[in-house]
Amino acid sequence: MASQEILERLNTIFKQIFDNELIEINETTQADDLEDWDSLNHLQIVVAIEKHYGIRFTAAQVDKWTRVGDIITDIQQKLEQKQTA
Amino acid sequence: MPNTSPQIILQAIAAQNPKHAAQLQQSLHHLGALYQQQATAFFSKYESYLLKAGLTIDFGVNQYLEMVDHMREERMEFIRSGKYSNSSFEEVNKQVYSNPQIMNMHMHGLVLAQFMWFDQYQRFLFFSENLLRYGSAAVNYLEVGGGHGLYINEAIKQLQQLDAFDLVDISQSSIELATGILSSNKVNYYHQDIFDMDDSSSQYDFITIGEVIEHLESPADMLKKISRLLSFNGVCYLTTPVNAPMIDHIYLFNNVQEIRALINDCGLTILEEKVAIADNKSAEYANKYRTPVMYAAFLSKTHA
Repeated sequence: MASQEILERLNTIFKQIFDNELIEINETTQADDLEDWDSLNHLQIVVAIEKHYGIRFTAAQVDKWTRVGDIITDIQQKLEQKQTA
Repeated sequence: MPNTSPQIILQAIAAQNPKHAAQLQQSLHHLGALYQQQATAFFSKYESYLLKAGLTIDFGVNQYLEMVDHMREERMEFIRSGKYSNSSFEEVNKQVYSNPQIMNMHMHGLVLAQFMWFDQYQRFLFFSENLLRYGSAAVNYLEVGGGHGLYINEAIKQLQQLDAFDLVDISQSSIELATGILSSNKVNYYHQDIFDMDDSSSQYDFITIGEVIEHLESPADMLKKISRLLSFNGVCYLTTPVNAPMIDHIYLFNNVQEIRALINDCGLTILEEKVAIADNKSAEYANKYRTPVMYAAFLSKTHA
């Protein structure tokens, strides 16, 4: 799945979790760039991603994410694994 | 005696997990001199105990970080399902209580959490600020599930009219940890099930039961037992969390109202209570995202 498509979905998820329609993320966005992106919200975002794509992450995997680009990469990998499974 | 400040603990955590240390620092940095004093006093006792056992504070930090990893997995599962991953004592006994490595990790991790987590410190502060007011006339003291000994340690410090304090715990390893950290000859340790205590002949003026009832299939049975063990004018200090998935939590309180209702249903009256939300989130946020909430209360028997 193309990065841009995933990024658009992530934007929707972030807007919903943070309850803020003005949020716009890109691949370089990090937690420090968004005031509400803390450890509690991080897990909410992860589970929202899981539910949308039908994939699953471990806490150890998601703790390695430092920017949105990392999330996109891991989503693409999970989707590829799902397709080949 | 070592001088183990929370800053030393934070630095040790940061060496392994800088992201987590930064989050802790953010929620703790505004706490003042009293926090520093209380945290340093207890952490110093803990490090002293570790040194006697041939260990260093890094051991405690490692156990704490492992506990945090487990907790995050539990939290993800909770967000996915809306339920705790275990719902029976049998499941938890198999996975946690019968596994010395997991028990050790969990017990030692919780020692540091008492002052490293904002909401945990709030419940201790609530206890320490009000204990004398509710306990100064007590002629005896009971702690149920004393764990690391932090609360009974504070009771020994403040309730100076008492020469003896009773601690009942179903876990031998918890008793060993508390014995090691406290190093007090004022504590009578009872390795037994509280339900085996005869409440017709022993009653207490002050009972502390912190972070216990969420580990039980029937918190109501425990609270009714506590009510029977409480003397006529006795006071109980109770804490339990809402939406707080941990490896050995069984009973899920979905909100504070459920806790209050249970307390009242079990013949107890709330004298004073405190609610602290994890990471200092708003009540609206906590409700929407089922964020962990700490509940603490001083209770008395309900009289007709």
